[in-house]
Amino acid sequence: MVLEATMICVDNSEWMRNGDYSPSRFQAQSDAVSLICGAKTQSNPENTVGVLTMAAKGVRVLATPTSDLGKILACMHGLEIGGQMNLAAGIQVAQLALKHRQNKKQQQRIIVFAGSPVKHEKKMLELIGRKLKKNSVALDIVNFGEEDEGKTEKLEALLAAVNNNDSSHMVHVPPGPNALSDVLISTPIFTGDGEGGSGFAAAAAAASAGGVSGYDFGVDPNLDPELALALRVSMEEERARQEAAAKKAAEDASKQEKGGGQHAISQDATMTENKTNDLWKQDDESALLQQALAMSMDDPEVSHDVRDTDMSEAATDDPELALALQMSVADSAKDSASQTDVSKLLADQSFVSSVLASLPGVDPNDSSVKDLLASMQSQSDKNEEERPNEEEEK
Amino acid sequence: MACLHDHSCEDHDCSSDWSLYKHIDLSKISALNEATPGSVKSVFKAWEHRLNSSGEHLESNEGDPELLVFIPFTSDVKIKSISIVGGPDGTSPSKMRAFINRDGIDFSDAQSMQAIQEWDLAENMQGVLEYQTRYSKFQSVGNITLHFPDNFGGDITKIHYIGLKGEATQLKRDVVATIVYELMPNPSDHKTRAESGGGLSHVG
Repeated sequence: MVLEATMICVDNSEWMRNGDYSPSRFQAQSDAVSLICGAKTQSNPENTVGVLTMAAKGVRVLATPTSDLGKILACMHGLEIGGQMNLAAGIQVAQLALKHRQNKKQQQRIIVFAGSPVKHEKKMLELIGRKLKKNSVALDIVNFGEEDEGKTEKLEALLAAVNNNDSSHMVHVPPGPNALSDVLISTPIFTGDGEGGSGFAAAAAAASAGGVSGYDFGVDPNLDPELALALRVSMEEERARQEAAAKKAAEDASKQEKGGGQHAISQDATMTENKTNDLWKQDDESALLQQALAMSMDDPEVSHDVRDTDMSEAATDDPELALALQMSVADSAKDSASQTDVSKLLADQSFVSSVLASLPGVDPNDSSVKDLLASMQSQSDKNEEERPNEEEEK
Repeated sequence: MACLHDHSCEDHDCSSDWSLYKHIDLSKISALNEATPGSVKSVFKAWEHRLNSSGEHLESNEGDPELLVFIPFTSDVKIKSISIVGGPDGTSPSKMRAFINRDGIDFSDAQSMQAIQEWDLAENMQGVLEYQTRYSKFQSVGNITLHFPDNFGGDITKIHYIGLKGEATQLKRDVVATIVYELMPNPSDHKTRAESGGGLSHVG
């Protein structure tokens, strides 16, 4: 959401009559201009945009930087086509217009539509570029229309001279079935240097694809930004609350399951204490997983089989205990079923780990668990795995 | 305030005299023609660190020795003198021009406008030279713009330290700056912690 004043340099030379962009190069350019104005003013309502033409009767400023979208759209209407584009003069006049902007806090940016051949020398363009860089003006170039051998080279030289820290971009749009504006939506010219206009871009793309349903929560942020914001915030809070509830359920499940192991109760307690005392508390889901896995491996030297046979012995010795175990696991499964998908996933994971722990064949777990415990970074790795895992499942 | 440097203080000013850097509004400092955006903030530091050239410093772009530094203050100050530590091998600035209380000066303005004062600088590697101001003209300075048009023949201009000596009044010059009202609420201004961590689900 950078505060920016933008001057758009429109090419209305004779070359714009060509129809290789539908409906004509000039029309495609006008659409792109209106889209850019919309994107800029939406990403920050205090942004201003101005327009000037570079050909016809000479460089002419149609609108000085203003935040009034209607004024800009009106001045794009009824433009005459003719003459030759004067790129150097256009850029210099744009720079002058930006210099006299009302709000000096705005960053300066020039967007140039270069559709016709560039008649200036490369040196001159580089000089202009350096002057723009010196006065910290960013430049975006849309290279479309005529494909001259020297043109791309000159424009790239200009971009290299202006570019300061990747704030300037050049986009090359070849003629084809896609509209000029559609191609531009996905470029940094729209999205800016961060996530600035991407919301607008996404909404515009969704709108063009099909209907109102493209918006989050079915509310158009343009029409009712407060409602959209309120819905978004409440969704986040709800998600956080459900995750907390799910974590609690998973904890209960793993606690019940641990209580079943007679031979290793004391060890479990110490293990649990160690784990909870760790910094792993930050991420409870993975901590629980760690606990379950660690509990399953308990003594790395002693074979798992011993412990597992203990468990199964205990189970077979005491059918009631086995039943209790099964019920506690079933309970947690039932609990999770009544909750949302997110918590179900969490319960599933701890459920899966508890199932794995009780199985005699736990060798796959063994090596992976050893890896986890060996490295200090095990926690952060698990974090990264858990997060994309959850996102996918969602 | 005790002096921390190891030589006697009769010859040099104590760092408390050069403490105007504390009254600079660091977030609003800007420079034109700097090679690395944001590097201008590194030249405003305590007097003791003025010769510490290991950190960042202000450099101009290749082949262009001009620099323009805009320094706003948090309250009005009176500036008595200015000290500049430049770089070696001709990269020190040779002239300095100052403009007071002017917003948004760029190079064409700086070259055409009459400066409030101009100085010819010498290569000041030890930071012992200070350039006096015509004090009567620098009585209530809300912001100052320093223009360095030329250097001693180097390809670029390097500045390691800019020191300002004077006193700070508690007055504010522009209590009411430019007011721009919100036309519509900007959701990014109202991000909650959960939001900035979780993020939106993107459509399309």
